[in-house]
This record gives sequence, C-alpha cells and structure tokens, in this order.
Amino acid sequence: MKNVIPVSFLTYREGLKHKVVLLTTICALSLMTGSVLISGFFMRDISKIILDFCLSITNIGGLLIPFFLAITLLAGDIEKRTIVTILARNISRTEYLFGKYLGISMLTATVMLIFLAATLLAILGGNFLYSNIYFKGFSISAVVQSVILSYLGISILNAAVVLWCSITTTSFLATLLTIATYLTGQSIDNIVRFVESPPAGIEISTSISKTVQIIQYIFPNLAAFDHKLSAAHGALIPFSEFAMLSCYAFVYIIATLTLSTILFIRRDL
Amino acid sequence: MLPNTPIQFEHVFKTYSIDIHNKSTALIDLSFSVKQGEVFGIIGPNGAGKSTALNILLGFVFLDKGSVTIAGKRPNSTSCNLEVGYLAENPCLYRNLTLTEHLRFAGTVAGYSSVASRKRIEELLFQVDLAHVANKKIRHFSKGMTQRAALAYALFHKPKILILDEPMSGLDPVGRKMVIDIICDYNKAGNTVLFCSHILTDVQRICDRIGIMNKGKMDQILNSIDITDEKNLETIFIQTVSR
Repeated sequence: MKNVIPVSFLTYREGLKHKVVLLTTICALSLMTGSVLISGFFMRDISKIILDFCLSITNIGGLLIPFFLAITLLAGDIEKRTIVTILARNISRTEYLFGKYLGISMLTATVMLIFLAATLLAILGGNFLYSNIYFKGFSISAVVQSVILSYLGISILNAAVVLWCSITTTSFLATLLTIATYLTGQSIDNIVRFVESPPAGIEISTSISKTVQIIQYIFPNLAAFDHKLSAAHGALIPFSEFAMLSCYAFVYIIATLTLSTILFIRRDL
Repeated sequence: MLPNTPIQFEHVFKTYSIDIHNKSTALIDLSFSVKQGEVFGIIGPNGAGKSTALNILLGFVFLDKGSVTIAGKRPNSTSCNLEVGYLAENPCLYRNLTLTEHLRFAGTVAGYSSVASRKRIEELLFQVDLAHVANKKIRHFSKGMTQRAALAYALFHKPKILILDEPMSGLDPVGRKMVIDIICDYNKAGNTVLFCSHILTDVQRICDRIGIMNKGKMDQILNSIDITDEKNLETIFIQTVSR
C-alpha cells in the first residue's frame, strides 16, 4: 500500500486546480460575510443566526466535493481513461482506490477548514459589529465538533462515491446513486422511527417494516452527523456519542472501501 | 532478468457483453509471442482486437480463456509493471497537471529519490523536446505535444518492455521522426517493444517482426526481411484481411 500516498497527493493536486474548489470557496466566503450583515436585521440570537447560516454553508460546501469533484475525479478518470496513466505503473487497483479516496478526503478537509476559518471570522465580525451579549453562549469547541462531524458524514458519502464509481461505467449513474445514498442517509432515521411507531390509524405491513430495517443497515445514517443546531446553541455533544459516531463513520468507510475494492479488482476497464 | 519471450499469448479468448443476450467476440484463440530485444508490430483493421490484446496484456481487461504472461508474470501484477512502459492511443494525462508533476509522480512510484527524479526529468524533457513547456498544464498542449509528454511518462522508469498503441497518431513529420528515433534508441539498448499502428510505413521501418491481426486472430506473422518491394506490407496486409 506504499503507493496510496503518491496517488492521494496527485488527486489532491488535481482537485485543487479545479475551478469548483475556487468558486465554492469564493461563494461561501461571500455568503458568510453576508450572514454577518443579514444577522443585524434580527433583534436577538445574532450569534445563533450567524452560526446556523455559516455551518449550513460549510456543510453544503463540503457536500459539493462528493457530488461534483469526487465524481469528476473518479468516474471521469475511468470515462476518460486517465486511470491507465496510474494503473500502467506499479500501482494496484486497491492502492488506486484508497489513494483516490484519501485525496478526495484531503480536498474535503481543505474546503471545510477554509469554511471553518470563515465561520470563526464571521463570529468575530459579528462580535465586533454587534453587542457582546449576543455571543455569550458561543462555544468554539461546539463549532469545531459540529464541523468534524459534518466532515465525517461527508467522508462516508465520499466512500459511497468510490463504491458507485467502481461499479458503474458513467459519471451520470454514479451521481444519481450518490444522490440516492445522500437522500436515503438523511431520511432513514425518520423513516425507521415512523415505521417503528406509526401514528394511530396507520398500519405498516411487515414486508415494508422488514425492508426499512434492511435499508437501515445498508445505507449510512447521515442525519446522525448533523449537529449544527446544538453548535449554534453552544452545546457540546457528549464525548461518548462523538466517539460512537466517529467509530461508526470509520467502520462504514472501511467496509465500503473494501467492498469497492473487491468489486473493482474484478471489472474490465 | 527477463525471460526469452517477455510477452506471450497462448490461446487467448475474450468476449464482451453488449447487453444481456448479446456478446461480441474480441479475441479468438490468439497466440503469439514477442522475443527479448525485438520490435514487434501488430497491424490490423479496426475491430481486429489489437487494443483488446494490449488491454489484456496490461491487466486492464481480463481474459476469458487462455494465458498471457508479461515479463514472466501474469498481467496486473504490480511488480511486472515496473518492467513495463505503456503509451495509450489517446494519451490520457491529467489535463490540470503539468508535465513536471506527472513525471515527478512517475519518479515517486518508481522509487526514485528527489535528486535522481529531477535528473531523470531533465533528461526526458530534453529527449522529447518539451523542456520549454514542462511547467504548463497538459490542457494547453497540442495533440503531438501530449503524445510526446505521454512517451516521456512511459519511459521514466527505464522499462525493459515498451508497449505502444498508435504512438505516431497525431504527430507531425518532425514529431514522428523524434518518436521513431526514441523507439529505435530504446530498442538498441536491448529492450523489447510491442506496438500497434495503422501507419504501415512506420511499422515496416522499425519492426523486426510484424503480426497481422484480423477478426480477433493472429492471421500471419512476418519477418521484416520477408517484405520486399514486389511483395510489400500493404499488399500482404490487404490480401490477409480480405481473405
């Protein structure tokens, strides 16, 4: 696995030169500056409004990586056959997939770090423009924790991108499957709760209940990584929950990448 | 040390699935071998199976039946790729990266130190005459420049076997001569070259042996000395493929 690092840096360098990264960063920074000014129109909870706005943008900015850049860098590699540039060297397909994943994760981390810095600057700006009273409940640890959890959720989605790109032949199909994974991941928790305790008068058939249970174990629970609201209120989530979510993300990513590798090493390019 | 026949195809079959019911046969009982230190050219009409054969050899595509060895190993083993350099028909370099970045990557994976890598990069840039655009992104390159850049990338680790798929396509006469000279110099150093081309004059000029592929089979293998003015390669080729 010694070639994972060179492949990841190649992917990272290529991704950084993409206009998507530059444009999303400029857009996000402008929106964050705007959030400081807009929050002034509200009479209270200014810090919560700035934080909620900025953390949402951070999350959306991070999501652009799996939806646009990761698919371009991976499925595009197979479609345009740039993959042969790498695989014709002494690099195995496993090293290729893990290297690509690591490179994409580094890109996501870079974009989210820029957004995190912009969020903190927006808070500083808000603090400077408006009264200190509004920022008493602000907790930098809660913000960092929320961004880390968002990053873990997006990393799971990046792993899903690797899986879909390793079994499909077009970037369009990979994009559709990634969107499906994201939507399922965001809503599966609510669906499970609905199926387990349906409102009075609604009956859920056993087959639907079983299907939902199966989907719950296959698709990632991405909603669990959304802690923007608690960060906006300055509340840290307990360490045990944070550790549990980190382990869940780690296990899910490894399992997805392993499955991707098993499928990818068997396919014709 | 490479075996006497560094490239060997034995009774190779390959079919592709078009859809659930239909399959397309790409290779039927393909057998041939390339000897150590020779330049072996493969020619054939479109759809003859040349690219499929190369893709199998490089481990990009899996065969259905038969056996293939390259540098004495099965394709797709990473250790055998250290002995192999490959230039694709449409060179597939990363458009947003520079040639230097590509070559530096090639050096890193081949285990070169940064000093050795820099020296080799300078050598190659001079050889393919691209030193003036070394730090330009590949997307600003012309087709011919990309082809030469990809050749430099393929030759970085001084492979013992060079596999070229249409290496002269898109090159102007000066570029073609440059590539031919590089291939000839490379072969003179005792290395093996396997290459596919549609340009019969180039094949005739540099190959020791020429294989004519048609409909997934190797129809005929010629020694370059068998080709004369009366019985030239074009005549033999047309006769073979129209059989």
